Amino acid sequence: MISIEEFTKGLEVEFEDVEPGTLTPETNYKNIKGWSSMHALIIIAYVDSTCNIILSGADLKSAQTIRDLYNIVIEKIK
Amino acid sequence: MIELKNKTILVTGASSGIGRATAQLCDSLGANLIITGRNSDELNKTKALLKNKCDSFVADLSNEEEINQLISKLSTIDGFVHCAGMINPLPVKFIKSKHIDELFKINFSSAVLLSSGLLSAKKINENASVVFISSVSSQHPYTGGALYTASKSALEAFARGFALEASTKKIRVNTLAPALVRTKILEQSEEIYSKEEIAEIENRYPLGIGEPIDVANAIAFLLSSSSKWITGTILQMDGGLLLNSK
Repeated sequence: MISIEEFTKGLEVEFEDVEPGTLTPETNYKNIKGWSSMHALIIIAYVDSTCNIILSGADLKSAQTIRDLYNIVIEKIK
Repeated sequence: MIELKNKTILVTGASSGIGRATAQLCDSLGANLIITGRNSDELNKTKALLKNKCDSFVADLSNEEEINQLISKLSTIDGFVHCAGMINPLPVKFIKSKHIDELFKINFSSAVLLSSGLLSAKKINENASVVFISSVSSQHPYTGGALYTASKSALEAFARGFALEASTKKIRVNTLAPALVRTKILEQSEEIYSKEEIAEIENRYPLGIGEPIDVANAIAFLLSSSSKWITGTILQMDGGLLLNSK
């Protein structure tokens, strides 16, 4: 199962416009500079491609931090 | 006056949104209706909204076998409107063949195979009318929509070829290309896009975002004899969205 560190790093790589090393599990991802729907789509696609889990828009709405997102993914994997 | 009396009309994707509104309108205009959709409960809800008796068939039109089964159950028809479709926003760098297969099967292949199967089984009457639902985004892209818009562009191109071939039998084929319409798809999008983005999108529509009935009205016109001189067209419906586009 993917670790929280791998998950955070993976998202950082996919976002591309985030300074390497700045994303942490406690980052409120909606506050990252230049946040847009593209980031939301990247999260959904990243989780689908790496964990085979489909996140809904409602999942994204309810999560604040990367850790919240990770926990939702882990819960769905179970 | 638009009327569909004595016309047998098949509506796909009738379990929600534009398909449901179309079924209701065609019903009220006197059509003998056949409805189909993937979700049995939602299809029954549509059926319950209709005033007249109609045939309904649960079918997943992304599956060729189910398309053929559906066709085998049908009588001859005077038209069909293909509302079945899906949207799957996906950044280009994440696109894999499974996404292409899934989206094209329902948005494109289902339209082609349904048309082909109905023609081959001689179940489309002369003077019938076919309506496909594309999207204004086939000409005007949006973030995450590359694959979806490609499937709709393919559908538009197919419809024109089909229109040409079918014209020898006086069968008309037209496509509607609506912009944003208030359906479940929009509600789902609202969870992904921020409030500011949604407000910004809405502000771009001088006439506001469309309602399913707005599209259904145009579909009913194209299905009816009132549009008997119209074929091979793509009718853009966008509430004025593109008036300001460069």
